[in-house]
Amino acid sequence: MKLAGQLKHQIFILSLFLVLCLGAKEQAQGTAFSYGDSESRNAPCMTCHGEQSKVDSRNYIDPIGFGHTTHAKFGCTTCHDAITADHPDGKPVARTTNCGDCHNEIITQYSASIHGSKAPCSGCHNPHSVFSPAEVSGEQLNKQCAACHTRNRIMATHAKWLPQTGLHLDGIACVTCHSKAENYVITIYIANRQGSDKESKTKLSSFDELSKRTAGDQIHQLIDANRDNYVSLEELRAFNRNPGYKDLYLKAMLTPINPTHSFQTFDNRWDCTFCHASGPEGIMQVSYVVFPEPDGTYRQVAVEKGAVMDALHAVPDFYLMGSTRNNILNKVGLLIIVGGMVMPVGHGFLRFLSRKNRP
Amino acid sequence: MSTKMIYLQPLPVRIWHWLNALGIVTLCVSGAQIRFPEYVTIIGSYRSAILLHNTAGIIVSLSFSVWFFYYKMVAGTIEDIYVPKKYDLTAGLFRQIVFYFFAYFFGVPNPHHATPDSKFNPLQKSAYLAIMFVLMPLVGLTGILLMNMGPMREIVLLLGGLKILVALHFLLACSLGAFLFTHVYLATLGSTPLAYFKPMWTGWEKVENHGETHH
Repeated sequence: MKLAGQLKHQIFILSLFLVLCLGAKEQAQGTAFSYGDSESRNAPCMTCHGEQSKVDSRNYIDPIGFGHTTHAKFGCTTCHDAITADHPDGKPVARTTNCGDCHNEIITQYSASIHGSKAPCSGCHNPHSVFSPAEVSGEQLNKQCAACHTRNRIMATHAKWLPQTGLHLDGIACVTCHSKAENYVITIYIANRQGSDKESKTKLSSFDELSKRTAGDQIHQLIDANRDNYVSLEELRAFNRNPGYKDLYLKAMLTPINPTHSFQTFDNRWDCTFCHASGPEGIMQVSYVVFPEPDGTYRQVAVEKGAVMDALHAVPDFYLMGSTRNNILNKVGLLIIVGGMVMPVGHGFLRFLSRKNRP
Repeated sequence: MSTKMIYLQPLPVRIWHWLNALGIVTLCVSGAQIRFPEYVTIIGSYRSAILLHNTAGIIVSLSFSVWFFYYKMVAGTIEDIYVPKKYDLTAGLFRQIVFYFFAYFFGVPNPHHATPDSKFNPLQKSAYLAIMFVLMPLVGLTGILLMNMGPMREIVLLLGGLKILVALHFLLACSLGAFLFTHVYLATLGSTPLAYFKPMWTGWEKVENHGETHH
């Protein structure tokens, strides 16, 4: 009996261990942990704040944009924790939390930058509509800066030293030069050839515009024809040559991977060779085609390595000179110049040998 | 045989020539720095190279336009000077090639004698036809488009895009650069190595006193 009791005890311990192990595995796979049903938790607030007709524009929260954020998963009352039973009573809602409670490292970095004393977090970021750098276009990144730094002033400041100012400002996100980043990528967007507004000279195609072309099918198949989530050089060529897409073109921008909040003008950015010389292998040679999503974000699809350097078919409107320089052309150019030296060297040699024949 | 001095290169031609020479060499050096900043740093910063390249490009383009306007519209001699005639293509070209690549080594004199009305031999005419009517205009036009990429974006896209334009500009520039070596070398093939350089500096060339006009 004692033995049977011990066996039962051991089976119980073993079962408990197995249950714990399975639980831990599920949690590691991300399926066990949940913020809870944030949609229903936020529903009482969004009933009014998600309807433009019920609140003023200052208090309106775009449900799609907000639903995309991690903030939504925490729930409205995590930050707005001082809502009283009288709400809405017309009084401003006190808030005891601040961004630094969660984003302390970024706040420290930002405070030390030249921007730190100029604008609070909300000066650039809307906490109800937060996207990662990879999810927004370079133009959207620049629009954040344009809220204070008008295009005319930016043009005037940069024109003092930067040749082809407009071209640079159209092809580079501000944070590419004005924040530290690990690396830079060439991000390729589908843009409309017609209907471009004078302000930015280009207009990126929206989800709705591209969706019409695919009749509701996934829009990335406009370029990624075999739908393998990878854009080959052949697929870029096919897109560029397709007469049906004559009114579209590929617009590229140099954007940083993970820009930091240490905003400043870095000394090495005054030196054009920061971009215009071929840097270490891999720098500025990685590219993505990004496609707009229904929620206003962008989705990256990796592009075949070297495609941005293709002279003929990749991105007709983008050229860096350094990393996108074509090595085959360099060799052809060298051959032409060497060809030009053949006659003087060869003729000169024979001329030297036959010098006694001439007066 | 007696010699005489003829006024071969008027002052405006000489100014035009040396302005072009300085401009094209500047364009080659600054262009090399723009394309290969890792290896060529002759002109200080990259920005300086860009500004110098643009300035030299504008000067050479204007100089080219003046040349074309003068010879075509004012003097009306552009065809006579630069376009090879039937004789040049049927016999003159061959004769000149035989001279440069064979007869020259045996001390035979140049069959062509430059005169103010016939400055270039048939080979020179053919070469300058390609240089002045194909390479120079194309390298200038591609350069102007590259300098004005913003306002001329649609034209650039129609031509195949920025990279095609850069490739074309680069290869045309290499061809012009290659021609420079041959051009300078051929200029040393006179009776003395500097015989052909002097007229382009002073205007006067010493020639043998022939009784007839040579082609």
